Amino acid sequence: MSSRRSRQSSNGASRITDDQIIQLLSKLQQLVPEIRNRRSNKASASKVLQETCNYVRSLHREVDDLSDRLSHLLSTIDAESPEASIIQSLIM
Amino acid sequence: MHTSSKLKKEFFKKWMQGLQICCSSKKQMNIMERKKKIKLSSDIAMASAKMTPTSWSNALISNAKKCEQDTVLVDKLIGPQSQLKLQKTSNKMISFHNRVQCKKVLKRSCNYAAKKTKRMGDSRKNLATIIAKRLVKKRTKVLKRLVPGGESLDEFSLIKEALDYILSLKVQVDVMRSVVNATEVVLNGDNLMKSV
Repeated sequence: MSSRRSRQSSNGASRITDDQIIQLLSKLQQLVPEIRNRRSNKASASKVLQETCNYVRSLHREVDDLSDRLSHLLSTIDAESPEASIIQSLIM
Repeated sequence: MHTSSKLKKEFFKKWMQGLQICCSSKKQMNIMERKKKIKLSSDIAMASAKMTPTSWSNALISNAKKCEQDTVLVDKLIGPQSQLKLQKTSNKMISFHNRVQCKKVLKRSCNYAAKKTKRMGDSRKNLATIIAKRLVKKRTKVLKRLVPGGESLDEFSLIKEALDYILSLKVQVDVMRSVVNATEVVLNGDNLMKSV
């Protein structure tokens, strides 16, 4: 990433500069909580990418856990209680 | 953020729609099946709630459509207009991917000889750079696998897609968490009253 490379993007736009890549990486850094606290010029590209991958993986895991919890909750619904009927009408 | 609350509402609406479609069948589902349906509706709702479709959202939807039993659910959620758009963009992606692969093979064969002589010269000086480049390449490969549809993207677009994908994942997790917590409160509060 430290050498200048020119590349054709899918729209046929002109070369993509180092600066643009650096800008994108810093935006990514803002999003990922692990490296947000450090000053932007200290995180290397590989570190940003690594933390991004870890963050995406943890978000995937959370979605999975939440779906699991919801599935368990919905399976325990007692069909007769009034609160359950609210949930049922909303979700089921 | 203004756009994120709009996105949340849209996602919530679509997700509830999806849950109603797949959980409304009379037959009893076991927990694993229900969980898969919940997760699927959530992912599809997320991909289709976006104002402007992106590469990852299209890839997610196309992957879901590959499974026969889920196509009905997917089609109902994304709506008729998006289905046509999806077809067009997926064909474009395939041809672009092939072009990229051909270019890569060509580049590799042309540059091989040149690289060999260059490496001999300044290997000592650029050792750190070489290691850094290799790490970046490795990590980029991993990211390509994580972001749906990332395999056919170049690095620049991959990072842009990852940015958008992370934002959407955050919205998805937030809304799901609120719904699950609220459901828990309603159901457990109900149990508490019974025990009293």
